[in-house]
Amino acid sequence: MAFPLLRMQLSGPVAMRTMEGVVTIVQEGRFQLTDDDGVSHLFLLSHRAAVEPDQLPPLQHHQARVRVHYTPARNLIGFVAHSVERSEMPAA
Amino acid sequence: MDMPARAAEEPQSRLDRMIPNESELTAGVRIEPGKSYGFFTDTTLCIGCKACEVACKEWNNLPADNIGLTGQSYDNTGALSANSWRHVNFIEKAGACGVRDNTQAPFQSGWLMMSDVCKHCHNAPCLEACPTGALFRTEFDTVVVQQDICNGCGYCVPACPFGVVDLSELDGKAHKCTLCYDRLKGGLEPACAKACPTDSIQFGELEDLQERAEKRVAQLHELGAANAYLYGAPGSPGATGDLGHLNAFFLLTDRPETYNLPPAPTRAANRVAPSLGTGLAAMAGLALAAFAILSGRD
Amino acid sequence: MSERLASELGPQEQPRVPPSASQASAPGRSAHWDGPTYYGRPQLKAAPFNNWVVGAYIFIGGLSGAAALLSAIADRARGHEAAPVVRRGRFLSMLAPTLGTSLLIYDLHTPQRFYNMLRLVKGTSPMSLGSWILVSFSAFSALGTLAAEAARWMPRFPWLRRTARATQLPAAVAGAGMTTYTAALLSATSTPLWAAAPQSMAVRFGSSSLAAGAAALALGNTGRMGRTLDKVALLALAAELAATCVSHNTYRRTGVAPALNGEWGKVEKLGATGLGTLLPMGLYAVSLARGRSPMLSTLAGLATLAGSATLRVSIMAAGDESANRPDVSFRFTQPRNLPKRWFRR
Repeated sequence: MAFPLLRMQLSGPVAMRTMEGVVTIVQEGRFQLTDDDGVSHLFLLSHRAAVEPDQLPPLQHHQARVRVHYTPARNLIGFVAHSVERSEMPAA
Repeated sequence: MDMPARAAEEPQSRLDRMIPNESELTAGVRIEPGKSYGFFTDTTLCIGCKACEVACKEWNNLPADNIGLTGQSYDNTGALSANSWRHVNFIEKAGACGVRDNTQAPFQSGWLMMSDVCKHCHNAPCLEACPTGALFRTEFDTVVVQQDICNGCGYCVPACPFGVVDLSELDGKAHKCTLCYDRLKGGLEPACAKACPTDSIQFGELEDLQERAEKRVAQLHELGAANAYLYGAPGSPGATGDLGHLNAFFLLTDRPETYNLPPAPTRAANRVAPSLGTGLAAMAGLALAAFAILSGRD
Repeated sequence: MSERLASELGPQEQPRVPPSASQASAPGRSAHWDGPTYYGRPQLKAAPFNNWVVGAYIFIGGLSGAAALLSAIADRARGHEAAPVVRRGRFLSMLAPTLGTSLLIYDLHTPQRFYNMLRLVKGTSPMSLGSWILVSFSAFSALGTLAAEAARWMPRFPWLRRTARATQLPAAVAGAGMTTYTAALLSATSTPLWAAAPQSMAVRFGSSSLAAGAAALALGNTGRMGRTLDKVALLALAAELAATCVSHNTYRRTGVAPALNGEWGKVEKLGATGLGTLLPMGLYAVSLARGRSPMLSTLAGLATLAGSATLRVSIMAAGDESANRPDVSFRFTQPRNLPKRWFRR
């Protein structure tokens, strides 16, 4: 946003991964995503994420299906989410 | 199992609706805005099960952190942090040569266990330090960090005299125990107090808790545990230095330092006026002297 | 995949394993604390500031503020004779709004919300008060510098010069705030080294800034202005030395002195006090005794500037160490260190 130079320096070599699922629990800037295999994962919103914490509760109320771009976090059983966007159910 | 009498009086709960005023059933206290609530943690009842840590992580959706064993008795959490808002301390009291006494004082074992948490101080230094107003006092007299406002300046972190609030490097904001603010609003007692199997963590109105705590201390003294005392009650250790009192206070049986608590913490904001005043006065004096030097003839 | 996850999951550093579990009640690391600690773990949390970034801001902010203060005084005292000094002072005072503010925003962990600092004014928070001191100082400095420079290019408009003059006093007052509020900011925490001596640290920071400001204004200046500014720097350094002695005495009395036994304590002694205070004092004294030697004066000025910057960074780092050492923080938070009744509000 305001400091693109900083972002370039900080993104580093860690590969961004993607996961799709339903938002089931939201607390502050953290949310739980249940993927299509029924496994639940915990995400923390990165401070550079385009999503603000107050945009998460509506996703949980609607049990919205989202696609999350994330990176793993050190010493933590959880992931750091960089973007959260609504996604469609795959065709059956 | 028989339904408690109070539960039978309540209207039948629907599947999609929570029990109204559930805290009256589980904690014997009705939660109303405008009253002071807190924790009384009686460490003589703690069995070190860490149900409080687990319940807190579950309810608040906190990730497991500090993975691995520390080798420090059963304490593998280590300390309160941005992702650990309840932390159980374990101290094995050693006898001579590192071997535990096998003749023990009545009532108390060779173990000290205490569930540490944010103290929700009456004159909270973190709240007084926060420049954005993210830290605020709720209608239940607790201290909460508003995540929408916090910009991660980190000033609350050194301000806390108990080393509770922490800044998360990952999401860039400060975090600490909210005394389950969202549960309080729904009439439920905090998750840790509800999960505690021995009622070591007691939730309630602050005055009731303080009364109960004093009675408990008197009872323990009668039973022979003369070293029991309150930490954080008005006038006790921990509530010193103009902090007032701690909404989450403890019953301890050893020095505070053993539990990693400061014996006489102070209110940091009391240092602002002396520091700023002396500094500005000194600058005024130096400015006058500089004027004299600059305008003098050489 | 699982291998990578394992390395990702591990803690950054191996947890300290004590020789036996009963080390829970082991005595502290130093001889002056014989009470228990909790496995030697810190009792407090150190400030998450980047000491280089925030230390640089404190130095730059103090320098800017002092430059504004001194140039206003010089203008009133000397008038036209001080014009080059006043001009340099205006440019120096622009360092805080530009470089200083950038450093502060960079250190925020959610920098895109930097404007939340201006949501309120909180008298108990020196960071809140300081944000407003910085904003007002920046506004007056910027306005004054713009007006003064515009007046040079467009002498037909006397109101430009008047505006520049009118901003001098408010900028000077805010500048005085800039030199010393950062000490209050560090003191209003529970970090033992910072909380132990709030008043002497404020004088130390303020006088160090004033000396740095005088040194920066005098660099390269010959003649009477240079000489008088050197005298001001010498006076400010003397005040800093006195405050340093009071500080160190207070640290010993309250039990936080061991925090200065490490690396950063040595940097503070040698860099901040030795190189930054004693050396320039000596150089200024010799220079002035010889009717102002430009070389000695310049050396003294550079040493003052280096020392002032070193002071901030070393105090911040030593403070973090005091927070991380339970033997220091427990020794500090003993009942005998509580403020006396009359001292409390």
